[in-house]
Amino acid sequence: MPAGVSAITPLANLTLGSAQATITFSSISQAYRDLILVVSPIATTTGNAGRLRLNGDTGSNYSWVQMYGDGTTAASSQSTSSTELIGLQSETTQTATVIHITDYSATTKHKSVLSRSNNTNAISTVVNQRWANTAAVTSISIYMTASTTYAAGSTFALYGVSA
Amino acid sequence: MPLLTTLAGDALNAYGFSRGAESAGAFELISTTILGSSATSVAFTSIPSTYKHLQIRASARTDRALGVDSFTLRLNSDSANNYYSHLLFGNGSAVTATSLGANNIIYAGRTTDSSNTANAFAQNLVDILDYALTTKNKTIRSLFGADTVGGYPWQGIHSGVWNSTAAITRIDVLPGVGPNFVTGSRFSLYGIKG
Repeated sequence: MPAGVSAITPLANLTLGSAQATITFSSISQAYRDLILVVSPIATTTGNAGRLRLNGDTGSNYSWVQMYGDGTTAASSQSTSSTELIGLQSETTQTATVIHITDYSATTKHKSVLSRSNNTNAISTVVNQRWANTAAVTSISIYMTASTTYAAGSTFALYGVSA
Repeated sequence: MPLLTTLAGDALNAYGFSRGAESAGAFELISTTILGSSATSVAFTSIPSTYKHLQIRASARTDRALGVDSFTLRLNSDSANNYYSHLLFGNGSAVTATSLGANNIIYAGRTTDSSNTANAFAQNLVDILDYALTTKNKTIRSLFGADTVGGYPWQGIHSGVWNSTAAITRIDVLPGVGPNFVTGSRFSLYGIKG
C-alpha cells in the first residue's frame, strides 16, 4: 500500500430514518484484512440487547467470553455454544460499540470478533467471540433480542482495514 | 479553578472515522507479516519516525500446549528489566487485575496455542502512544481476546510502560512461552498521524 493512503476505508454507512428490526451489511468486499464495525444504536424499548450473526449462520457455531462493569461490580461470563454473537449494548438513549473482526477473509481461520461497548446505564463491556467457521465473512446482520427494533437516528458504519 | 487543566507536554488527539470515500488519511499501513512457517518472533524494524502513534493488529497462535499463551513486546531490542505491565482480564467466570514488573518484555495480550481448537487464533490490538517522542517514557495499551473452547477463554485490556525516552525504531513480538508463533499468524503495524 503506498504511503499517504489511508489503510481504513469506509465500506458502508447507515443512519436510520425510521425504526428497523435488522440491519444487514451484505456482499462485503474481500479486498481487506480486517473489518471494523462502529455502531451507535438507539433501542425503541429498554431492557433488550443487540446481537449479530455472520453469513446468516443461525447454528450453534458461536462462542464468547465477556468482562463487564456496572459501576459497582466487575464480572466475567462465557458461552461455548451460542446461536449468535453478543456485545452490542442497547438502550433508549444512544450507546456506542466498536467491533473488530480480524482476518475476516482468511479461509484458514475461525473468525475472531473483539468489541468494546457501553451504554447509558453505566455498563462497560469487553467481549471476545469466535465464529467456528473458516468461511470468509460476506455478510453481517445486526438485530435486537425479543424482536424489538432500532430507532430512527441509530447509526451503523462498516470499515475495511488494509494490510 | 477550571475543571480541566492542561499540563505541559500533554497531548490530546482526536480522530474521526470518515463517512466518505478513501482519501489520504491518518491511519497508514507500515508493514505486515503473515507467517508461512513457525517463527520464534516477528520483528518490525527501521520504523519511520514520521507518525504520532503506532498500532499493532495481530491474529496469533503459538505452539505452547497449555491452552493459552502470552503476546509480548520488546522495544529497540532492550532485554533489560525496563518494562512494567498491568493486566485486567476476564476468563469467563472471574475478573482479575494484576501487575507485572520489572520485566524484560511487555505483556500486551494473549494468544491461542496448540491445545486449543484448530483454526482458532487470538486477536490483539496494541496502541503505542507518542512512540517517537524523546521526552517521554513509552506507553502501550491493548485490547485482546483469545476465545478457546477446550482451553482457557480470555479477554481484556492491558497497559504497559517501557522506561526509556528513546524513540522506538524496532518492535519484536514474542510468544510468552511458545516457543513459536505458528503458520498463519499475522502481524500488521500501522502508523497514526497527529
